[in-house]
Amino acid sequence: MQNVIFGIVTGCTLAIATTGFAMVRQSENFLNIAHAQMMALGAFIGVSLVESHGWNIFIAGLMAVVSVGIIGTVLAGVFFRPVKHQGGTVLLFTSIGLAMMIYAVNIAFFGNKARSFLSVGFGERRNFAGLNILDYELIIVGLTVLTIIFLQLFLTGTTLGRSVRAVASNDDLARIRGVPVGRVSNTVWFISSALAALSGVMIGYQSSVSPELGWRQILFVLAAAVLGGLRSISGVIVASLLLGIVMDVSVLYIPSAYRPVVAFGVLVLVLILKPEGILSVQRRKESVAT
Amino acid sequence: MTNPIFWAGVLSLALIYGSIALVLNLESGWGGMWDLGTAGLLGAGGYSYVLLTLDNPDLGTRFLPGWPMWLAWIGASLFTGLVALAIAIPSLRLRREYFLITTLALAEIIRQLIVIQKDITRGHTGIANLDRPLDSLVDARTYNYIFLGITAFAAVIVYLITRRLGHSAYGRTLRGARDNEALALSLGKPVNQMRIKTFVLSGMLIGAIAPLYVFYLRAISPGVYASGITFHVWTALVLGGIGSAFGGLFGGLLLIVFTEGIGLVHIGAFPDAVKENFSIGLLLVLVLRFRPDGVFSERRTFRARTRTISESDTRTSDQLSTAGQK
Repeated sequence: MQNVIFGIVTGCTLAIATTGFAMVRQSENFLNIAHAQMMALGAFIGVSLVESHGWNIFIAGLMAVVSVGIIGTVLAGVFFRPVKHQGGTVLLFTSIGLAMMIYAVNIAFFGNKARSFLSVGFGERRNFAGLNILDYELIIVGLTVLTIIFLQLFLTGTTLGRSVRAVASNDDLARIRGVPVGRVSNTVWFISSALAALSGVMIGYQSSVSPELGWRQILFVLAAAVLGGLRSISGVIVASLLLGIVMDVSVLYIPSAYRPVVAFGVLVLVLILKPEGILSVQRRKESVAT
Repeated sequence: MTNPIFWAGVLSLALIYGSIALVLNLESGWGGMWDLGTAGLLGAGGYSYVLLTLDNPDLGTRFLPGWPMWLAWIGASLFTGLVALAIAIPSLRLRREYFLITTLALAEIIRQLIVIQKDITRGHTGIANLDRPLDSLVDARTYNYIFLGITAFAAVIVYLITRRLGHSAYGRTLRGARDNEALALSLGKPVNQMRIKTFVLSGMLIGAIAPLYVFYLRAISPGVYASGITFHVWTALVLGGIGSAFGGLFGGLLLIVFTEGIGLVHIGAFPDAVKENFSIGLLLVLVLRFRPDGVFSERRTFRARTRTISESDTRTSDQLSTAGQK
């Protein structure tokens, strides 16, 4: 059972990251490989503010989230918008190029060594029905739930949020109906990058922050996104939790070195056994049309 | 900086990258299979070659077949072909980005398996001081020239094979199925079977190139086969031009000479990883933005053929219009 708790925590951090990834996939129509590099950037900003400048972790985290959100929006304007008309493949490869550049910048600014939130502890150990739960685990789960509720309220309750969903489902129609497509795109990029940073800080806090975080996490994000179906946010959240739990419970039965193999194994298995569940009717129509 | 031995080494690496990019062009450019698993196939090829040649019990590995070099080379190619088959059968049921993600994930699984199987592969430590072909003939310094010859020979062979395939009826069907799968299927082309064959052939070619990369490094470790190398090869292909017969080779040369050149220039105190990744990333972004077809485009490779077809087309339409006037 204890490992299920670990799995839920892992799943929560993954869910935050993958939700941001899926939002860009929906409204910009491409897989943004640079997403996980933004996670690493956020984690680095967080760890530097806490360790080198003595900030409180929550304020440092907020700072990382906001600044990476802005950086992400600017980068999208500079790198992705000019090639948007060329379609998903060019955008995908542009994001690979951008990922390499952010990776290089991360090393240049923050060094190639792993760093961790040494001065911040994990909090008190609590006992619930025979399970050990640390304070930080509660905080991560709580923050995740709050973030997702806020996101949901934003997407369904505000005009801008409804515009985001309109663009995601049919951007041509949204444009014709007078939805401010540019502003929507900026909003999506801001939220997506901010979520990446939040997840990056959470992951960095639990283990350590290194430039390799970006290349390692992108695989998990892709796995969760595909498992959840690229079209729905709730599917992505369920898939992330599932993936987290499967990975951390698998440790009980097979060596922990196999953890990533288990994650990708699940992904490949699901894709192969049930591609029709993921490739919905609409997706098939799309692939015939293009 | 103007040391010819150094540049011979750089050029060999460039030719290796170029050859891999040519194979990638066969499966992805013409075959339409967007494969992000090149690192996995290279790893399978490199490791199977090294493991098949192992004969030193001091390494502490359980698997010491000690095959001669040439036999292990063939073995590596065949084994990588089998790995490619095992990847192709399930993942080719998926399309586009799903295929892309599956191949990326499978490449990572291959790498993790190499890391985990410590008793056979020595895990992260890897194996160093490997023998190279014709190593004993010359001294270590001038070996770079011999190696340049070997890689150039390999690149020419790979170029001739892929070019021949690209211009053949088989290559045309492959490209046809890429552009319009429904049409190819309705013409009775065994599209899926062709794709599996192409993927396996690509795997065998990559498995045959992989030992060259091992010779270049003189050592092998799982870190080499992370997804970075896949992205670098893709960059080479995009630079040269996806779908062009020569583009991959040219892109590989351009990419490696460019990054090695950047490595020699001292920009501040930045480590090589920074300069290399930043320049490759920037190069990729710029090419995609300003010349998305690459230096050599697909149209250019097949231009001669297109021209004859369009000429005969106009002739027919002229004949038709004159016939109509009559």
